[in-house]
Amino acid sequence: MSDSITLVDYEGAITFGTIEMLLSKLRNSHEFQILKKPSRKRLYGIFVESIDNIYKYAIKRQGKSGSPPKISVKKEGELYLVRAGNLVRNDDVGEITFKLDRVNQLDVEALKSLYEEVINKEPRSSDTGAGLGLITMALRTDRDIVFGFEVVDSSHSFFEYEITLKG
Amino acid sequence: MEKLTLAPTLNTPSINFDPIGNKFALKGESRPENVRNFYLPILEWLEKFAAEISGKDSSAPLDFSFNFEYFNSTSAKYILDIFKILNSINKAGSEVKVSWHYEEDDEDMYEVGMEMSRMAGIPFEYVVEES
Repeated sequence: MSDSITLVDYEGAITFGTIEMLLSKLRNSHEFQILKKPSRKRLYGIFVESIDNIYKYAIKRQGKSGSPPKISVKKEGELYLVRAGNLVRNDDVGEITFKLDRVNQLDVEALKSLYEEVINKEPRSSDTGAGLGLITMALRTDRDIVFGFEVVDSSHSFFEYEITLKG
Repeated sequence: MEKLTLAPTLNTPSINFDPIGNKFALKGESRPENVRNFYLPILEWLEKFAAEISGKDSSAPLDFSFNFEYFNSTSAKYILDIFKILNSINKAGSEVKVSWHYEEDDEDMYEVGMEMSRMAGIPFEYVVEES
């Protein structure tokens, strides 16, 4: 088993200030800086999209205590792993599973077509995106997004996923 | 029409739209806290500008420069909307030149530019920035 080096490991509420702090921590980590630019920008993009998703989702979930969001970036051997997790409603599990299964099954050209379909459907009034972040992340990795849900109570589950990038 | 100028921040690009000099530039990183609040005034400015120049002869092309270090997926929709407005200005008879800057080795940013150009129906000139 390869050694694991932690670049970022955070668990707790995500505010816009937290995002800047975590991005700064990522940018300043040695293991990030030694990456070649294309990989560095991919990792940065996946981290931003992951944390944006938590930030936007957390806004909708205000007042629900326990099971705080978490996000981490680790280097294991030559691989960089972004793991993110947050509480979701059990009612949303089916839709999230559908969206992730879909991007995992599509090749690059099909992902680009889906990206075009979604970006043109999104109304200008929206501020949360409609799955573009997920498609963007899928375009930046050549591996499946691994994900799962752990039931927390009768109405909530903890959703986690992992995206792998080659260094 | 007055210039539109916004200084860059950690998460928003600089905006320098100069309708007198026919130079229009966006540069930096785009992941605003509220993407709609950031981009709607820019889109409204461009729509007003498009209406103002509609039907007028322009001797020089309108020179638009996009130099993004990074933009997130929620910004992408609004950036595409900018290109759709530029396409309509072009079609209405005012020549628009779009330059899409990307860092050397940043193939992803180059490809995103190609996709944006295709989706908006407006040609880009690609400019490599040495890092």
